[in-house]
Amino acid sequence: MIEQTASPRPGADLPDRLLAVRAAEGDDDSFALLVQRHSRPLLALARCMLDNPQDAEEAVQDAFVGAWRRLPEYRHSAEFRTWMYRITVNRCLTMRRRRPPLLPLDVVAEPATGDAWSQPARTAEQDAATAALSRALAELDAGQRVCWILRELQGLPYKEIAHVTRTSEQTVRGRLFRARRSLQEAMGPWR
Amino acid sequence: MALDDPHKRPSAPPGAGRPRSGSAADVPPFAGDEVLPCGRLLSRAWEEAHDAAPPPDPHTVSCPHCREAVEGLATVNAAARALRDEDPPGLRALADRVMDAVRAEVRSGRLLPLADPDRDLRIVESAAAKVLRRAADTVPGSRAATCRLVPEGNGTDVRVTMTLAVALDRPLPDRVHQVRRSVLRSAGQDLGLTVTAVDITVADVLEPGPPLGPRLPTGAGA
Repeated sequence: MIEQTASPRPGADLPDRLLAVRAAEGDDDSFALLVQRHSRPLLALARCMLDNPQDAEEAVQDAFVGAWRRLPEYRHSAEFRTWMYRITVNRCLTMRRRRPPLLPLDVVAEPATGDAWSQPARTAEQDAATAALSRALAELDAGQRVCWILRELQGLPYKEIAHVTRTSEQTVRGRLFRARRSLQEAMGPWR
Repeated sequence: MALDDPHKRPSAPPGAGRPRSGSAADVPPFAGDEVLPCGRLLSRAWEEAHDAAPPPDPHTVSCPHCREAVEGLATVNAAARALRDEDPPGLRALADRVMDAVRAEVRSGRLLPLADPDRDLRIVESAAAKVLRRAADTVPGSRAATCRLVPEGNGTDVRVTMTLAVALDRPLPDRVHQVRRSVLRSAGQDLGLTVTAVDITVADVLEPGPPLGPRLPTGAGA
């Protein structure tokens, strides 16, 4: 009993694979825990891949709902996280094809000052540098951008990035290098 | 030695060992790559600093050219850190919208008879399974995975099939017995189901760790 009351939500201690098995059998509470666990990095990924925050939210929502429908067929050959990344990346790429950005530089997801999520210690200069990085990211080729985001913002190893993007580790490394190169140049004025 | 062997090509990725040899004699594998004065490729210096698993490569640590190359990315790194730490707004609302959509197409499973003499009362499988999984979870060191319920015969009998993830700190038979008892009790008391048998398979091992910390390691990552 002590163990139960110590947990904020039942099942919060369960590993992803167990939650995914339960969710596949229709347990929506287990799926809610997976959503809670993974929505932050997936939304961050989608916001970097798409040009406006609404599209990013829509992509992540579609990805989760699609995952819920496909869970009964999900064979657990990949980690749940990798599987979700892959669905989200595919969704973002489809949305990019469907809606070519009209004003890519103006509508890019930028950190707005004064939001609840801004760190109080952040200086205006840091905000501007972050905004510049977001703009530079938006100008990268989609393949390079997703590799860079998965590596630098999400900390995935090459192997998992290759799996998510359906390519080889060597291609991932090449894209990562070119992305770093381009970003370094774009961020030159901020040194 | 790499200098004499132009075919010695990059192979092992960082994280799974050391990066490719990366000496000047290697053909730069990536467009725009360059050879640093120390003979290393720029791409390798960056990979060593950013992606390689510990321990750190001694050359990268001591070489001034590599260090300079790595410092060239400092501005990008600082901005990336800031970007990484940002919580996207609308996160909570997004999770709520996802769950609204999910619950609108809930998978209920079959209808099961409750232990009611008139056989009028029924419960959907997913709801019953949720309660029985919770009963299994109350046994320390045990967590239910699958839970299926199948009617047996023409009456109100139901058979439960469950798989468990179990910690290995106690003998398995004890624990499985406890789970079966807990599931039977809950089926009778909480649901009013006549469960004839609870078939249990131990399908996974629970990693040792704090009993109910924020989350167990999922095995994700490198």
